[in-house]
Amino acid sequence: MNRSRGRKLTVLVLGAFGLAGALTLAAVAAPSRRARAATTYTPTDPSQIVAIVPARAPDEIAARRALAASPEHVELAVTLARADLARYRTLSDPRYLGRAQATLAPWWTQADPPSDVLLLRATIAQSTHAFGPARADLDRLVRRDPSNLQAHLTRAVVATITADYAAARESCAALASTSALLAVTCEAPLDGIAGRAAEAYARLSSVSPHGRADARVRGWALTALAELAIQLGDFDAARGHLRDALALDSEDSYARNLLADILMATGRMADASSLLAERDQIDSHLVRRAIAEHALHGPDADKLVGAMRDRIAAAAARGDRIHLREEARFALAVDGDATLALELATDNWHVQKELADARLLAEAAAAAGTSAAEVTAWVRATGVRDVWLEQALAKVTP
Amino acid sequence: MKRALVILVSLATQTAYAHKPSDAHVRLAVSGETITGRIDVALRDLDGALGLDTDGDGAITWAELTGSAASIETYLAQRFAIAGCAITFASGALVDLSDGTYWAAPLAARCGDTNAITIDYRLLFDIDAQHRGLVHVADQTLIVRDGNPVTTTLGAGTSFLSFVKEGIWHIWIGLDHVLFLVCLILPAVFPRKRPVESLKAASVEVLEIVTAFTLAHSITLVISAVGFIQLPSKIVETAIALSVVAAALNNLVRVVDARWAVAFALGLLHGFGFSSVLIDLGLPSSELVGSLLGFNIGVEIGQMAIVVVLLPILYVMRKTLAYQAVLWAGSGLTALVAAMWTYERML
Repeated sequence: MNRSRGRKLTVLVLGAFGLAGALTLAAVAAPSRRARAATTYTPTDPSQIVAIVPARAPDEIAARRALAASPEHVELAVTLARADLARYRTLSDPRYLGRAQATLAPWWTQADPPSDVLLLRATIAQSTHAFGPARADLDRLVRRDPSNLQAHLTRAVVATITADYAAARESCAALASTSALLAVTCEAPLDGIAGRAAEAYARLSSVSPHGRADARVRGWALTALAELAIQLGDFDAARGHLRDALALDSEDSYARNLLADILMATGRMADASSLLAERDQIDSHLVRRAIAEHALHGPDADKLVGAMRDRIAAAAARGDRIHLREEARFALAVDGDATLALELATDNWHVQKELADARLLAEAAAAAGTSAAEVTAWVRATGVRDVWLEQALAKVTP
Repeated sequence: MKRALVILVSLATQTAYAHKPSDAHVRLAVSGETITGRIDVALRDLDGALGLDTDGDGAITWAELTGSAASIETYLAQRFAIAGCAITFASGALVDLSDGTYWAAPLAARCGDTNAITIDYRLLFDIDAQHRGLVHVADQTLIVRDGNPVTTTLGAGTSFLSFVKEGIWHIWIGLDHVLFLVCLILPAVFPRKRPVESLKAASVEVLEIVTAFTLAHSITLVISAVGFIQLPSKIVETAIALSVVAAALNNLVRVVDARWAVAFALGLLHGFGFSSVLIDLGLPSSELVGSLLGFNIGVEIGQMAIVVVLLPILYVMRKTLAYQAVLWAGSGLTALVAAMWTYERML
């Protein structure tokens, strides 16, 4: 009697546990219901603040009105577009690119617009990774106005990114008469890619960064020094330069990303994550922090990974492909999806060819177990030496 | 002090928002000659177009926004149209998306023909050239990149069979419908104080339950899908979760012995749930009957598959302790889980 009651109890308990397990599993595994529109609400307090918008200066409002009255007024349009581009730079908010572009709408498709418009158009195009149109505008502009410093600077950057090193050198040289630091900084990455990183580092160190140059130029020189130091494997020096760059401008997202990359490559994931904390609104910061926290199995890992997935999905929904580098990195480090990473890194390589892009493609190829023919061809053609790239290529099946 | 605090809090949440290019979302549900939906436009974008921040302090209050509601509606009405449809906008509300707060404007349209839908969307391009209008309709997303109209043909990619498939799929992934059905079927092999004598007796009861459920949800599916009665999805989803609680509890305390009646009464609710899925898929006017029928057949196939597997197993084990464990623990846990769903969906 007792034994049978015991058996009954055992069966009941086992059955209950089994069911509880099965149900929990089903509840967790069941795909969420079809994605629905988010729920709406209406505030009850009239004084509740529902959005923060950039407070507009009265003179800007007046200028907007004046432009609305005479939309062909090019000086007015250029001034307003410049203001939005400046906001884009300081806030990293891509909305302002679209605003600047809309302001320039009357000239946007013109073959031969005024020089100021050409430069702005090229800058906006470059910012959306439309390097071809950007380059065409810049070529036209430097032909028209060979002394246009900003045009040469932007042209050098675009040409370097797209691996047209001869054109980049030509524009860097045009800067020499104005500022030696500018010209040397411009040439440093070109020398680095040409396999002369040590010489470039020595030369740039000798002209920077003590001068009275503009803080932006000094910041650029410091990140260029850091990139050369990375190529040479001197991560301590690179970290120092980047800390200096961030001291000059704490919003320098390029320097911050580079510093985070060094920390992550040397296994200091927690330091990388805290360096990027509170800056999740910028995709390039978010992707790095998501990867770092994912590697650490940190408490925020799921939230950050989810947020990055949402960004990727949102960009895809609107048909954008300007985050190929970030997406490839995410696919490799978080999803371990080497095939997708390789596909994205290859597409990215066909858009931009900086060292970071080469490293990424080599890493993706190594993970996918394929050859990295395009990278090795580039290495052979340029003679580039880079510690991280060589580490990645060493893992690639020949 | 309080106001300052509010501003600080708002700023803190603001900085957490993603920096994304400007998108607006148009969600449309097509059902016969009726299109219902919503346009979500970022308040920041509307501010750029209309100057919502009337006092220019960089903060838009709800009062400032409601003061501009009429001009927002005019702006939307002037710049958004669906060819061949008369659109009316209902009063707007707010919705929080990943990059900030949006104005959500519900709309309803009466149209002549909804097999091909041409959307004329011209919001915001004049102030933001990289703005995109994302039109979500029938599981597709159309991207409006400039002011040019976009057209989609409904029904071209959908067939009777695809609706059958959607119906089956929906039953299988819709854990709430499955649990509801399972709770009703569990006692069929042990109706009162003793197990049933034959599989036939159990099958008859199950057939009654399934038929009642089918009849009930078909009725509400049809009247809801054709737009006769439409309930807010939040209420429907909550009620469905509650119906699962009721079905499960009925196994524990046996209030109603005629489970076919429970299946019918509460099955009415599930039909509303099915219809919202169906409308999301897009129901063009010319294919209304076919797609309704296909979807419903799919749902029946899906639930029959579950019954065919479950019933013989229950029948075989009906005299064992394991069956009692499944009945009691299963119903109890289902009630618990469904109560949790009810709470979640109520929020």
